[in-house]
Amino acid sequence: MTAVAIATFDSEGAWLRARTRAIAAGHRVVGEWLPYASKAIGSGEGRGGILPWALTGGAIGGFGLFALECWTAIVSYPFNSGGRALLSWPAFIPAPVEFAALTAGIGGIVAMFVQARLTRLTHPAFDWEEVAEASRSSFVLALGCTAGDDANAAVALLANAGATHSRVIGL
Amino acid sequence: MSGVQMRHVRKQSPRWVLPSVTSLDHVTEAVAAPMMDRPAGPRYWIAFATMAALTLAGALGIAFSLAYGPGLWGNNSAVVWGFPIANYVWWIGIGNAGTLISSLLLLTRQKWRASINRAAEAMTLFAVSMAGIFPILHLGRQVYFYWLFPYPQAMGVWPQWRSALVWDFWSILSYLLFSILFFYVGLIPDVAALRDRPGKRGWRRFYGVLAMGWQGTPRQWRAQRRLHSIMAVIAVPLVCSVHSIVGLDFAASLMPGWTESIFPPYFVVGAFFSGFAVVVLIMLVIRWSMNLEGLIVPAHFDVMAKVILASAIVMGSSYGAEWFSAWWGGERGDIRLVVYEFTGDYWWLYLLMLAMNVLAPQLFWVAKLRTNAWALVGVSVGVLVGMWLERILIILNTLSTGYEPSFWRTYAPTIVDFIILGGTLAAFVLLFLILARLIPVVSMYEVRDLLADERQA
Repeated sequence: MTAVAIATFDSEGAWLRARTRAIAAGHRVVGEWLPYASKAIGSGEGRGGILPWALTGGAIGGFGLFALECWTAIVSYPFNSGGRALLSWPAFIPAPVEFAALTAGIGGIVAMFVQARLTRLTHPAFDWEEVAEASRSSFVLALGCTAGDDANAAVALLANAGATHSRVIGL
Repeated sequence: MSGVQMRHVRKQSPRWVLPSVTSLDHVTEAVAAPMMDRPAGPRYWIAFATMAALTLAGALGIAFSLAYGPGLWGNNSAVVWGFPIANYVWWIGIGNAGTLISSLLLLTRQKWRASINRAAEAMTLFAVSMAGIFPILHLGRQVYFYWLFPYPQAMGVWPQWRSALVWDFWSILSYLLFSILFFYVGLIPDVAALRDRPGKRGWRRFYGVLAMGWQGTPRQWRAQRRLHSIMAVIAVPLVCSVHSIVGLDFAASLMPGWTESIFPPYFVVGAFFSGFAVVVLIMLVIRWSMNLEGLIVPAHFDVMAKVILASAIVMGSSYGAEWFSAWWGGERGDIRLVVYEFTGDYWWLYLLMLAMNVLAPQLFWVAKLRTNAWALVGVSVGVLVGMWLERILIILNTLSTGYEPSFWRTYAPTIVDFIILGGTLAAFVLLFLILARLIPVVSMYEVRDLLADERQA
């Protein structure tokens, strides 16, 4: 791959049509950028998922705080509070439940950052003006190709599929 | 608010974006341009200066209270909870509603949430922050508030985990931090759009850091959407439990009128009720001040007014259940309390509360009034006043007439009580004014999605 044919589309339908045609014509999709979460992208999770991380975070926070409550109330600071049992477990439940929700959220956000490969503040795609447009209004599709006839064919295909703008970027 | 009666309400399948909004880019510009391109006008700065001055007055009220103690408030030896706890419960109720509204509507796939969820979530952050001030003030020895947090200290003392105050600490802290995360996850694509939009370099850098390298690839959208849904699933029980715990602060005691199992759900409905009233007011102001008539349409107000009406009916039923329980249970203290509510020192406040919370929202049975700006403002403000009265009267009626007649005292707030309450109200508005110049108050990417859906339909 020595070049990228990149194109912008003003609707989800046009982007999907172009994508289908490009794949049918043997082109490789090397990048896609969308202005909203289109239903066409599905909802499958990447490796590892987010839910297991959230559950793990919640379990660590919830059980961790409950263990701390038990240890402090029974071992470290056994305080007779009106004759109540040292292990007053029903009264120990509210705080860990609330805290578990928070740590589940933290676990989930860490997983999302890993999966979405966030925190990369610099990336070659940020130099392409089409990608900047995608976050505001456009659907952008990039096809890998070799400079020359292959690239011209890819750009022609994208233009015919309804692209509002297309060009070749040399690598 | 010109054109008091809003137009374009359809009886069936309402449009949530008006036809005047023609493209995805139009959505982005409609929200971003007033914030980034247009300088704040004189109306904004007048509002800003007024709120800043009132916030400062509230801060002075707090400073004097810290210096001279709770003697500056109306609290007395019988009514020990007074304004601080009523204000806390009221603010936390409003704060609970934002995340509840946003997450419930997300889980039930209500597309119309796109225009209101950002403001509702911001409302949560600010209201919970205001709420958090009051329990600390009410501690008496505020300088030691950090003792609520478990940390190994030289004295070997740990928090009293059986205390409802400690439950409050964990629930508010967890809820506030969780709400910040929930708000941020929903904000990432929009700050990325602001980063990529032409504008001042410094601001674009600021948004670039907030966006964390968001590009909008399918992988990122899938991860963001998935996490948003998971957090919504966690948020609903979290919100309900937070306000239930606030209800338990009362219900776990042995005072007449408080020891009721209905308190936790009754508090949650009250939170939802007052929260929706604030969202209606905020959306009216945003719609009017930022010219967002195309994105915040009359159908939004129509549906929110219906929610307020339904909540008012539940609130009325809850009050009725309280009176019935007192009569049916036959407990003398409870019966005396209900009689005192209608005939005692605060009877007129109690009737005003019932009028605001139960009767005024009945206006929304009339379809025209659900999209009439003045009716929406009047009922929403009425609900907020009514809910605040409900919070203070829960405290005053019970503590003024406890089980021991020799201990009966009436309560009269002081000017300092009102200054602190007013200060938090002003700070809440001030924070919104700052927010409106910093981040999009309407979720741009979700409205783009909604517009695409409506186009297809």
